[in-house]
Amino acid sequence: MKRLFVAMALVGLLAVQAFAADTIKIAITGPFTGGSAPMGASMRDGAKVAIAEINAAGGVQVGNRKMKFEVIERDDEAKNERGSLIAQELASMSDLSGVIGTVNTGVCLAGDKHLKEKGITKIITPAAGSASMTQWSKAGVKDLSIFRFAAHDGIQSGMVVEEAINRKFTKVAILYDSTNYGVSGRDDLLNQIKAQGNKLEVVANEKFNIGDKDMTAQLVRARSGGAQAILIWGIGPELAAVANGMAKLGMKEPLIGGWPLSMSNYIDNAGKNGNGTLMPQTFIEEPITPRAKKFIEAYHKAYNVTRIPSPVSAAQGYDAVYIFAAAVKQAKSSDTHKIKEALEDLREPVPGVIAIWQKPFSKWDPANEETHEAFRRAQVVMGMVKDGHVVFGNDADRQRLTKSAAAPKRK
Amino acid sequence: MTTSIVPQLIVSGAMMGLIYALVAYGFQLTYATSRSINFGQGELVMVSAFFSLTLTKLGLPYWLMIPGGLLFGVVLGLFVERAAVRLALEQKSEGWVLLTIIMGLFFFSAAENIWGRDDQPFPTPITSDALHVLGISITPLEISVAVGVFTIMGLIELFKRTTLLGKAFEAVSVDRDAAELMGISTTHTVMLSYGLSGLSAAVAGILVSPITTVGPTMASVLVLKAFSVAVVAGLDSGFGVVLVGLFLGSLESLTSYYVGSGWREAPGLVLLILALAVRPTGVFGKAVIRKV
Amino acid sequence: MKRILFIHGAELLVLVLLACIPIAVKNPFVLGLLTLLAIYGILLIGLDVTVGYLGQINLAQAAFLGLGAYTAGLMVTHFGLGMISSLFASLLAGLAFGALLAFPALRLEGPQFALATLSFSALVTIGLNEWESVTNGAQGLQLVRPTLFGLELAAQGFYWLCIVLLVFVWIAMNNLLSSQWGRTFEALRDSPIATDAMGVGTFRHKVAAFALGSGLGGLAGGLYAFNFQYLQPQSFVYELMVILLLGVVLGGRKSLWGALVGATLIVLLPNLLSNRFLFQVFSIIGFVIALVAGGRSYIQKTTKPFQAGAPVVAMGMLVIVAIFFPNIEDLRRAIFALMLFSVVVGLPEGVMGFAARFLSKLFHIAPAPLAVPVPLHTVLPIRDPDGSPLLELRQLKRHFGGVRAVDGVSMLVQTGHIHGLIGPNGSGKSTLVNVVSGLYKPSGGTMLLRGRALPHGSLFRAAQAGISRTFQNLQIFSELTALENVMVAMKGVYRKSLPFVLFGLSHKEERYAQSCALALLEMVGLREEARITARDLPYGAQRFLEIARALARRPDLLILDEPAAGLAHPDVTKLIEIIRDIHRIGITTILIEHHMEVVSELCDVVTVLDGGLVIAEGRPVDVKRHPKVIAAYLGANA
Repeated sequence: MKRLFVAMALVGLLAVQAFAADTIKIAITGPFTGGSAPMGASMRDGAKVAIAEINAAGGVQVGNRKMKFEVIERDDEAKNERGSLIAQELASMSDLSGVIGTVNTGVCLAGDKHLKEKGITKIITPAAGSASMTQWSKAGVKDLSIFRFAAHDGIQSGMVVEEAINRKFTKVAILYDSTNYGVSGRDDLLNQIKAQGNKLEVVANEKFNIGDKDMTAQLVRARSGGAQAILIWGIGPELAAVANGMAKLGMKEPLIGGWPLSMSNYIDNAGKNGNGTLMPQTFIEEPITPRAKKFIEAYHKAYNVTRIPSPVSAAQGYDAVYIFAAAVKQAKSSDTHKIKEALEDLREPVPGVIAIWQKPFSKWDPANEETHEAFRRAQVVMGMVKDGHVVFGNDADRQRLTKSAAAPKRK
Repeated sequence: MTTSIVPQLIVSGAMMGLIYALVAYGFQLTYATSRSINFGQGELVMVSAFFSLTLTKLGLPYWLMIPGGLLFGVVLGLFVERAAVRLALEQKSEGWVLLTIIMGLFFFSAAENIWGRDDQPFPTPITSDALHVLGISITPLEISVAVGVFTIMGLIELFKRTTLLGKAFEAVSVDRDAAELMGISTTHTVMLSYGLSGLSAAVAGILVSPITTVGPTMASVLVLKAFSVAVVAGLDSGFGVVLVGLFLGSLESLTSYYVGSGWREAPGLVLLILALAVRPTGVFGKAVIRKV
Repeated sequence: MKRILFIHGAELLVLVLLACIPIAVKNPFVLGLLTLLAIYGILLIGLDVTVGYLGQINLAQAAFLGLGAYTAGLMVTHFGLGMISSLFASLLAGLAFGALLAFPALRLEGPQFALATLSFSALVTIGLNEWESVTNGAQGLQLVRPTLFGLELAAQGFYWLCIVLLVFVWIAMNNLLSSQWGRTFEALRDSPIATDAMGVGTFRHKVAAFALGSGLGGLAGGLYAFNFQYLQPQSFVYELMVILLLGVVLGGRKSLWGALVGATLIVLLPNLLSNRFLFQVFSIIGFVIALVAGGRSYIQKTTKPFQAGAPVVAMGMLVIVAIFFPNIEDLRRAIFALMLFSVVVGLPEGVMGFAARFLSKLFHIAPAPLAVPVPLHTVLPIRDPDGSPLLELRQLKRHFGGVRAVDGVSMLVQTGHIHGLIGPNGSGKSTLVNVVSGLYKPSGGTMLLRGRALPHGSLFRAAQAGISRTFQNLQIFSELTALENVMVAMKGVYRKSLPFVLFGLSHKEERYAQSCALALLEMVGLREEARITARDLPYGAQRFLEIARALARRPDLLILDEPAAGLAHPDVTKLIEIIRDIHRIGITTILIEHHMEVVSELCDVVTVLDGGLVIAEGRPVDVKRHPKVIAAYLGANA
């Protein structure tokens, strides 16, 4: 067994060296199997669409030659210890240019420290939990190679609370799943309610587990408290169970929550009961711009699907690759440290499907984790479920984005 | 409005309880003849549901799809028996525990790659628009589950009691060796029980899917609950699973409301351990006299 | 000598290799894998106690890992304890919760035990999730690795700490499992009834085994916490448990090496898919091995066609996937399922079970030599029967519902006698001795041994009181050797308490127990078969083994429940000789028997039962002529 192990390690190292010369090695990690797989696999596939496009065009211009991307895939199965080991493995690769991925905030917390130690550039997407970036500001880290390319929960929960206030609600119920994502979402919502002037009274604060199908107890509590809206933070089919449970109990209050409400497993499974659900969106699978159209078509064709399981994850994976490629080009090197420097000061705008990215990141400042967060309030819009699709919740957003795609303006 | 809270909670919980009971019944069938259970029973439910969904998508009407789905369940059950159980039983080892788990892993992965990782809705002609009776909301879909559970269990019990094959089944469950001496093939009876267990899994898949949606993980929570119900009721308790299922489902629902939604499962689990400690063979199980 | 050199040499070699890899390979990933390997090694050694030795499906080990991890984490974050004290706290937490769970789980077996442990795991997860004020709930607990005696441990130092602990655990468990404790655990698995009847405390040993295994789980949890430095309740759920269970069984049950191999497999397997070329090579090698091994055993007909063929089919599917499927990461679970399936079907005793057999054949390793038997009279000193009453039954009753199996039996057994108990089928003989030996509670009446009341309804306490028995339906410890079967029951030789045993200070008494057991085996003519696993002994030998085992209790009263049932004629003669020897030593015996010749030849007094009542009593010759006895045996009309 030991000999096998050493042999494996050696073969692994050899394999690493064999390809070293002329490719940009980029790792994509996330859960590709199991419960979180719809997001992980969509992110991966979106990123691979971008990589295929870049490679088909000959690669990235690095200095005076063109280099192609080479992808290393690692399935973390949404498990922290797998995530930690994968991060250690990636950290020990001498010629890795960067990492894109991670869906679960817990996996970020378990693994990213190994990457940070070696200064390996990572763009987190689509994990939105606040803690994956705030852990660095709390620790007062001076230099950071971890970036995030996702609308973090701070932004999202702010928008959710704002939406509820705008709709003149005064009593809301908060429902959240029992995972890290749900619980930190609950905290974010409560903080935002306070920050936005305590205009909402929380009449029920209820939890549900992954796999729960019967939400009656939670909903009855919300109903008997007189909630006018349900603010919900969760991932996956449980969200649909809530919508269906509300229909059963004859509750008509709207659901407002995090972006997973835009995933097909919610929209399909809630059916007509999902209509009117509101959620912040970075990308809506509506071909409103030529780039978005091209991306959606490429994705559908490459994976032989008619709809992306998680459009947000896919689009973020896609844009993250383009931003990374731009950093490589600017750094004139596939060295991960130089790429990090370039990412902190991207001079050229990067056209993506979500937006045209102008200086998405800046030099890390431990007092302000926003320096390594790409998304601002402006890139995020309210989406609404309507007859099986997510459409713009407010028409103003749609017009604004269509216009900005035509004529980018500096931020 | 407020007066109907408790009945509503009990009814909704009881509906989940019936689903647990149906899956639990699948455990009982195989335990009776072979003292083994399929730890991959949840995956059987899931794969049969996906298969039935595919039949529907191919354009088969609902009522014609059902026999196809059931047949598929039977075939799966027989496959599990052949590949994962028979050898271990012949060797009198506990190998079936791992092999059925492994089989479940395989089915899970196959489903992920054939049908995708996402949960999908399961179309049904039965409406999910709620009826409101005495302040309690219940959907015809839920009622159909209840009817289905009792129908399939009743039919299988009837089969066991009235047909020759069924009596052979009963004989093997009572005493394998004696049945063997009477010329009943235990191997065939165990096959039969796994086939029936696959059938009940397929019934569960088709009935439950419109409520739970179809996805690779649809049964992973369900199956643990069902296992609890089967063991606490007693693995030879017949309709006992229904009572325990109803009790557990309602208890969860009530706990969720009165104690806190995070503690939903806790009282059930504590009661379960205590029930087992007091009655190891299950609440409705037959106590055994130790013989030497 | 060669054996010791080989086994300890192998242990030392692996240890040195494990300890030196980080010096040779400066790769944090390799180090991370090795650290996890050491942690899982400890965890699986603990799990093997219940799964391998107690033979139960334990689904709580992941929860103990979690409990240990959180204990260590909280000790560091809330109380600022150091490395060693935190780890100690983890160990204690595992022990305490393990003992707590053992109480309700004690009476359970099979699916019931599995469910009780599964429910416990679920409760632990809920508790960790909901107790947010302390554990930080689902958001997870971040912690910093504490210092070891003021020393900051980097990854490498921490790895060495894990290795040192693994070595400690290895040695202690090796000592424990090769002692009376280990034998008792296995005896409990094979026959809890016989274990009780041999006066070995089932209760104490089950609790100890479970608590110990759980304690190791807790310790591994502490290391886990300091390794990952971030904990979430969801990490310790059913899914991990299944992986651990597979690890133990794949590696090989009842073996420390097996646990280590299992840990290696579960740590390395997920990385197998990282390099496609490597994976293809492995799958092809696996396919070839399965093909050769399967083909060979098929031709030699050593296994069933299914067992030979199924792994070949599974590995063949694996090769197809490896070569043709575009994205192997997507199929990871199916791939693992195929590999695990092949191993479980092809090597039912696990990788190490197979390797141990193979290696010992390859290197001709002789087993350790046995001790020299002590003279028989040191084990069973000759007693001087004074003819005083030993066992007295007054109006003893046992009813099962409406069935009056024993309905008011009074009888007297004198010291030194062979007291026959006969009667037609269903006359209540077996029920009577089952009541006397404590298997059933009497429904009424009194039982006195040397004038003192016998305990009711407890095999264990009846055995403690001086009663020892054999069983009509054999209750041997089938997976122990003949020698171990007797050693388990050996009374009055094991005096060292648990800590001494753990530190390996019980070799002397172990050796002495062996000598005594060999003397008893010699007495029943099984000395040459001492090393043979009991289930492989011929039927007659198994009966004699039960007698030797019962004698190891140095009983006042020996109950032989139909010892001649199913014996061939030469064995019956041998049995008569053995019983005569027992009689000569002066041990009082109750003999239940159908064979009239055996009874006539041996018994001093015979009691005849029919319908739960005594119908005759006296010398064999008189009883045989008693009209009621003739009627009972030949039917009322005779």
